[in-house]
Amino acid sequence: MHICPRCESNRSEVVTRSPVKGAWEVLLCPVCLFTWRTSEPDSITDPAKYKSAFKVNPQDIPNAAHVPPIPERI
Amino acid sequence: MAYKDFRDFLHTLEKEGQLLTISDEVKPEPDLAAANRALNNLGDKTPALFFNNIYGYTNARIAMNVMGSWPNHALMMGMPKNTPLKEQFFEFARRYEQFPVPVKREETAPFHEVEITEDINLFDILPLFRLNQGDGGFYLDKAILVSRDLDDPDTYGKQNVGLYRMQVKGKNRLGIQPVPQHDIAIHIRQAEERGENLKVAIALGCEPVITTAASTPLLYDQSEYEMAGAIQGEPYRVVKAKDADLDLPWGAEVILEGEVLAGEREYEGPFGEFTGHYSGGRAMPVIQINRVYHRKQPIFEHLYIGMPWTETDYMIGVNTSVPLFQQLKDAFPNEIVAVNAMYTHGLVAIISTKTRYGGFAKAVGMRALTTPHGLGYCKLVIVVDEEVDPFNLPQVMWALSTKLHPKHDAVIVPGLSILPLDPGSDPAGMTHKMILDATTPVAPDIRGHYSQSLDSPLGVAEWEKKLSRMLR
Ligand SMILES: [Zn+2]
Repeated sequence: MHICPRCESNRSEVVTRSPVKGAWEVLLCPVCLFTWRTSEPDSITDPAKYKSAFKVNPQDIPNAAHVPPIPERI
Repeated sequence: MAYKDFRDFLHTLEKEGQLLTISDEVKPEPDLAAANRALNNLGDKTPALFFNNIYGYTNARIAMNVMGSWPNHALMMGMPKNTPLKEQFFEFARRYEQFPVPVKREETAPFHEVEITEDINLFDILPLFRLNQGDGGFYLDKAILVSRDLDDPDTYGKQNVGLYRMQVKGKNRLGIQPVPQHDIAIHIRQAEERGENLKVAIALGCEPVITTAASTPLLYDQSEYEMAGAIQGEPYRVVKAKDADLDLPWGAEVILEGEVLAGEREYEGPFGEFTGHYSGGRAMPVIQINRVYHRKQPIFEHLYIGMPWTETDYMIGVNTSVPLFQQLKDAFPNEIVAVNAMYTHGLVAIISTKTRYGGFAKAVGMRALTTPHGLGYCKLVIVVDEEVDPFNLPQVMWALSTKLHPKHDAVIVPGLSILPLDPGSDPAGMTHKMILDATTPVAPDIRGHYSQSLDSPLGVAEWEKKLSRMLR
């Protein structure tokens, strides 16, 4: 189990592993869709060190503005 | 002069000393982006970068900054690498007028070598990596995306080829940002109004001419493939996609075929953009990928984007300036001299023009605001005299400092449209715009003391020749 550095959900999944065994994994958070590689600097991978301006609150995600808005069916 | 494919262009760069191979092991993050950012800081004549030893990968090959300098832009056009920028502009404008050049159709392409239709995992197939520290994920940002108009599928020019940022958000899922001023937004709306998915194809690692055409603000019904033919001076080669009636660039390294899912929006971003700011996170459309094919040992092309100048600015500098130049010339054929809309994709545009009568330059500025590209950009338009070279910023600053009277020459037009990525727009997509008239007033606009403009001593041209010979 991995904690998402950005929204701190604990549901992240491995989407790929390095072709060279054991170098790194790439993880994807299904809540905020953040992606990171385990070999990245800890300012990216560690929830405590992730820049506060870029943190995402999971409760805000459903309210994100639609760009573009979904048009009416005609 | 056409390049056969992406590799052919890389070979040319190498031959011309404009490709730097990095064989030391680098980490995907932060090295790939950091090296490219550092290169962009080193001036406007830098080479492309080729990485072939990336930590954790066995045979990933990544090319970056492929068109990230004026020499590389000149080579894209088949010109000598030291061609001055202004000459590149006028040559681009000359070829632009050769449009349209019909495409050449092929049955097969090198990218048919390897095909994947089951258990697609883009994270396995492509060596993806993060660019800037606040990016929400790994992006495709130099891929071209092809889609077709659903109301009028038979008009060739309405097939669109565009460059859009796409976040890889799942093994076979991408997020796309369709800016409303761009053609893809029209196609997505048409499909969603019908409740249908929109078929798309994405090409990675293309010859630079199609990337250039795809990033040129053409009119809606002008074909990027037919413009690529005009720019390279011979028909552009295309091959049909397998799942949709879409044309693909023959020389691409990797193709992804899929569909924009009707009515779906999903969190995307932020992404460090050409404005020098992050875009923020918003709910955007989603593309599902159903088929991938690629050359054996594909070369993955990527583009570093961030605080200007980066490859983006070289890529969209000349080809943004030329359509504005042509559209202004349509209105004022005897006056418009040149247009420099190279700054932040034309958020600032500098126009050099003759003036027929008082107030004329301001009309030229207003026309720039109403061109198709001006509607989403051109927040600040600077108009200068015909003698001022708009590509020479010291000359432009001289014109601003001596010709402009703020009381008469600064025009603000309120409440106009702008692309929502402009971080100053408020609300996003709305802004006031400004025209600065830095031309010399002419009758009946009689003001200022401009009758004694400075000339040069006699014989300067001869001395220029003589001294440059002696300095050789
Ligand atoms: Zn998350």
